[in-house]
Amino acid sequence: MILFLDILTTVAILFVVTAGLMMIFGVMKIVNFAHGALLTVGGYAAYVVTQLKLDPWLSWPLALVTGMLAGMVVESLIVRPLYKRPLDAILATWGLGIVMGQLIVIAFGREVQFVDAPIKGTWSIFGVDYSAYRLLLIPVACGLWATMTGLLNGTRFGVKTRAVIMNEDLARGLGIHSGRIRFITFSFGTGLGTLAGALITPLSSVDPNMGLNWLVSAFMLVMVSGHSMASLLVTCLVFGTFQVLVNTFVSPVLGGLAIAVLAAFTLRMRPKGFANG
Amino acid sequence: MVNAHATTELERDGSNPQPKTAKRRLPFLGLIGLVLLLVGPWLFDTYLLNILVKAYFLAIVAVTVDVLWGYTGYLTFGQSAFFGIGAYAAGLVFTHGGLTPGNVFLALGIAVVASVAVAWLVGWLSFYREASPFFATVISLVLPIVFVQLLLSGGTWTGSSSGLTGYETFDLSIEAWYWIAGSTLAVVSLLAWVVVRSDGGRLLAAIRDNESRCSYLGIDTAKVKTILLVVTAVVAGIAGFGYGSFSGVAAPELGGFVLGTELIIWVALGGRGTLWGPLIGAVLINVITAYLGSSMPFAWQLILGAAFVLVIVLLPQGLVPVLLRPFGLGQYAVHEPALVSRPLKMQSNAIPEMPALVMDGVAKHYGHLKVLEGIDLKANAGELLGLIGPNGAGKTTLMRCMSDGAERSSGTVSLCGNDIRKLPPDQCAKFGLGRKFQNANIFETLTVAECLRIAGTIRERPSLVRQAATLALPQYALDVVSTTGLDKKLGVAAKDLSHGEQQALELAMVLAQEPRLILLDEPTAGLTKTERTQIGHVLSSLAHKYKLCCLLVEHDLDFVEEIATRIVVLHQGKIVMEGSFADVVNSELVKTIYAGSSHAMQDPV
Amino acid sequence: MKPIGQFSKTLVIAAASALVFHAHAADPIKIGVAVGLSGANSTVAPAVVQSSQLAVDEINAAGGILGRKVQLEIVDDASGAVGAQKAYDTLVFQKKVNTVIAMETSAARNAALPIITRGKVPYIYTSFYEGRSCNQWMYVNAWVPEQQVAPVVDYFSKSKNAKTFFLVGNDYAFGRGMLEFTKKYIETKGGKVVGEEYLPIDGSDWTSIVSKIRSVKPDALISATAGGAPNVSLAKQLKGAGLGVPYGNLAIDEGTAKTMGDVATGMYLSASYLGNIDTPENNKFKDSMKTKFGADLKTPNELSVPQYEGIYLYKAAVEKAGSVDPVKVIKALGEVSFNGPRGVVQMNKSRHTPLSMRLGEVQADGTIKILETFTKVDPGEQCPNIK
Repeated sequence: MILFLDILTTVAILFVVTAGLMMIFGVMKIVNFAHGALLTVGGYAAYVVTQLKLDPWLSWPLALVTGMLAGMVVESLIVRPLYKRPLDAILATWGLGIVMGQLIVIAFGREVQFVDAPIKGTWSIFGVDYSAYRLLLIPVACGLWATMTGLLNGTRFGVKTRAVIMNEDLARGLGIHSGRIRFITFSFGTGLGTLAGALITPLSSVDPNMGLNWLVSAFMLVMVSGHSMASLLVTCLVFGTFQVLVNTFVSPVLGGLAIAVLAAFTLRMRPKGFANG
Repeated sequence: MVNAHATTELERDGSNPQPKTAKRRLPFLGLIGLVLLLVGPWLFDTYLLNILVKAYFLAIVAVTVDVLWGYTGYLTFGQSAFFGIGAYAAGLVFTHGGLTPGNVFLALGIAVVASVAVAWLVGWLSFYREASPFFATVISLVLPIVFVQLLLSGGTWTGSSSGLTGYETFDLSIEAWYWIAGSTLAVVSLLAWVVVRSDGGRLLAAIRDNESRCSYLGIDTAKVKTILLVVTAVVAGIAGFGYGSFSGVAAPELGGFVLGTELIIWVALGGRGTLWGPLIGAVLINVITAYLGSSMPFAWQLILGAAFVLVIVLLPQGLVPVLLRPFGLGQYAVHEPALVSRPLKMQSNAIPEMPALVMDGVAKHYGHLKVLEGIDLKANAGELLGLIGPNGAGKTTLMRCMSDGAERSSGTVSLCGNDIRKLPPDQCAKFGLGRKFQNANIFETLTVAECLRIAGTIRERPSLVRQAATLALPQYALDVVSTTGLDKKLGVAAKDLSHGEQQALELAMVLAQEPRLILLDEPTAGLTKTERTQIGHVLSSLAHKYKLCCLLVEHDLDFVEEIATRIVVLHQGKIVMEGSFADVVNSELVKTIYAGSSHAMQDPV
Repeated sequence: MKPIGQFSKTLVIAAASALVFHAHAADPIKIGVAVGLSGANSTVAPAVVQSSQLAVDEINAAGGILGRKVQLEIVDDASGAVGAQKAYDTLVFQKKVNTVIAMETSAARNAALPIITRGKVPYIYTSFYEGRSCNQWMYVNAWVPEQQVAPVVDYFSKSKNAKTFFLVGNDYAFGRGMLEFTKKYIETKGGKVVGEEYLPIDGSDWTSIVSKIRSVKPDALISATAGGAPNVSLAKQLKGAGLGVPYGNLAIDEGTAKTMGDVATGMYLSASYLGNIDTPENNKFKDSMKTKFGADLKTPNELSVPQYEGIYLYKAAVEKAGSVDPVKVIKALGEVSFNGPRGVVQMNKSRHTPLSMRLGEVQADGTIKILETFTKVDPGEQCPNIK
């Protein structure tokens, strides 16, 4: 039972962390290497809320807004000029991540900080006591998935975004302002990134490097999953399960590598990953 | 025949014919470097010498990163892993076995062999047919992470996070180490310089510019990149061995992804694609970091990070070239070889018994959508087939099925008697297929001469060391070049040509590979009337005089009428008619297809 | 000689002698401090820097060492081997320090030792560690497992009746070393180790290990993790899972415990320094720190106080040797003692020092209640081959 809950919560966490990255990768075909730094910013947003003794639930909207604002600035200044140079966009966002990390250190210092969780204690599920906050992340991840899917499939914005994902030139030919779509998507994606940071930080702690460990796993997941939210969910399910199993039955040291290595070989064997078709 | 169109500084060399390349300023820079290398121990104090030895070893790795990224377009964060392999080879052998001559060779051997093996694996993972450049980059990022984790789980054997320290190593003075490190750096840089500037070295830039074009020219780009990766991995591994031997410390940081990203930063700031930029950048940044590291460690990191972002966005060519431009450095004169004709290498099978192309029951579908169905087609040498049909008939798909074994869903395709099975485009090209694309598919940053030379790679292997004085092309390629005036523009970068000239260049490139079957996708699109006539003559002579088999997809029916020996009509994925131009044009069926094509489009396909 | 020539000659001689005199009198004694300003130790580095600064200020105010001012040279060792190399190259070859007194990771220390040896610089290591590191130029004034582990294990065995123990750590020299010693000690005392799990050095996702602890149900839990995030996240995740097993943390310091708030309540630790040690020396030390740093004060702790004492020990050694000559100082370091916040420290036991260890329990308000004090705990024969 505990193993099952471990797996479910791990999958939920993975999905939450990668959703924002997926939005950006799917629409703009660039990999936002600043994603790790964004996770960290989200963590510090939650820390600020704790410091100001505000309600911990506020950390979620605060993180979301901070991330979106940051995303707007980054997209206009850095990503847009590099539209035609995708590999350079990777580098620029990576450099940005470094700069953001250093700014965080200057602002908050290097110490490990603590964040209050919105709910504490344990819940009893099927006769087992399990960390309440971890369990909370499962419905949060589901809600996130539902919102994103609804957004992409049910709104006009979503239709336009999917058009841009599939064929940007054609979409522009049809009058869709792809530049604006990219702008909105990027900001939304970065907002999700910081929100993810705020969501996961009550599970451990906040320090300037917390986002880094997630970076590579998140990329590998996004590369395997293709361009739809459904396939991302499936990917997180498969890989999250694999990681927890390796962690539990082999060794946690190798578990940390599980996702990256499995993803590399998956993509090598089946270049389309889990995408439909 | 000497072409005299070099730009910038000219330097007359005595012998003739000699291409003009001016390198006056660059050797000057190199000379300064060599002087510093020689007199360093008398100029610098022990502390600075210490820093420089390490900086030199790291600069070697930076040079390899520049070759991979700046020249070949492969963004890699993983060269640090090979550096770490070398350092740990030294650390492990010397810690567990002590310092003996045998162990030195053992350690060096392990460094080389391990680097080769890992590089081969990474190449296999990263450079396969449908790999995206992102994927290759992400793999290169995963490599050092996996390497470090393996080190960390090695317990006392690898020293885990502490690494290996205090092992016995070569008892050399700091001056000796300085000369060793510096001369290794000089040798590596020089070799890299020679190769990268050689004719064969331009292949790297060709791959960076247009990898798919290289495939269609018969070049196995995956193999080239993997071999390149293996070579650079060994170089980085040897540099790591030197570092580990000198410093007496082999720690996980030496093979980790932080160092990997720092290498990229040094190369980007130094100026990618110049070799000397990253070299200078790496050395300078390491020295400055050592001095500033104690006084303002955090501010310096911030400055570097911000500079890096600025350089990527605003100054992609890097800082060092910009800083040195006032001194006249960083400009290369253009190398223009003399054109000569060469006999066809394929002459021996001039009139093959095998038909050039046999397609049997070829079909292509995406799920339920049938794009091609039941295609049976045969084409012989000397024929000029015109493939016509309304838009959406599947003509381009048909061409793709001919040139790439993985494209079709069923059926067989044979090129000059060879079944292409699921083989990739470079293999199809080796069977004798040349493909000219609709959009001029050339190497933008290469000159006309370089494009042509790379195009002939599978027939005339370019030297990896020299810049040859002559460029040998088959006569029909030369004809195209001279007819269209490209022979006066050998030193012009391909992107600076007019549209018509680019089309002609691509045709000449395809011809340089001596194909037996040429696929041409709308060769007259965008051409002026004169250019159209020219290309008509060229294609006719290719078919009739040189007995090539040409297959063109065309919409310009007048053009097709003039030159085609046979017409094939494609409609809704099926061949509906074959025959002479007159037969086809007068047939009722074809008229309905073209006239009624708007109605046909409304039907669900 | 013309008068102007005489005059200039005098001027030159006067200037020269003034220079020489000036140079000699202002020649400071340089103490190098290598610490992890970045990397794994960056959380505790500020406290270490502060206690170093206080020691140097106090010494200078009292006239310095042998009449010479003391100057601190602080460099970042990035908490690792490669960073330490750079740091020690700077300290030994560029700044040419007279001694290095450092609180750093084992990785950094191991990389530093060859440079220390080459430069012949006395080196005082002030961090607790896994033991058995020996070098003819090094002394250690912090605890080793022989001193720290026994109180915790004994307390669990006696007061909590613990027979089965679960060990958790990060996979590196300190983590492995500590738990290896702990395991041996437990078994000699008749207990049983029912689980031993490690995460990579910077790992903070203890989920599967927590689940394992839950299923095994040990009587007591002992951890030796890296400082900072791994330490903190383990405690958090244990609490989050609702596990109430008695928990002894071999790597926690008071400052971190304080920031952890109620997550740390009930944790047991064994330390040579705790804030509420009630001695005149500790009270004076705490007051001085508060006066000097005010609101910026980082809580003095197990990792920063030995640094303060280390600097004083060096002073004592130089004064006893009568010079900064490295060979003389090294000999003197084994003979001098200093009565500081932790009590009397004398590095005369195989380059290490007997220490008074306190077993503490973290209270709900973040303070640490001292359950038992053990005086003059012997470090054992750490370096049998060093005279």
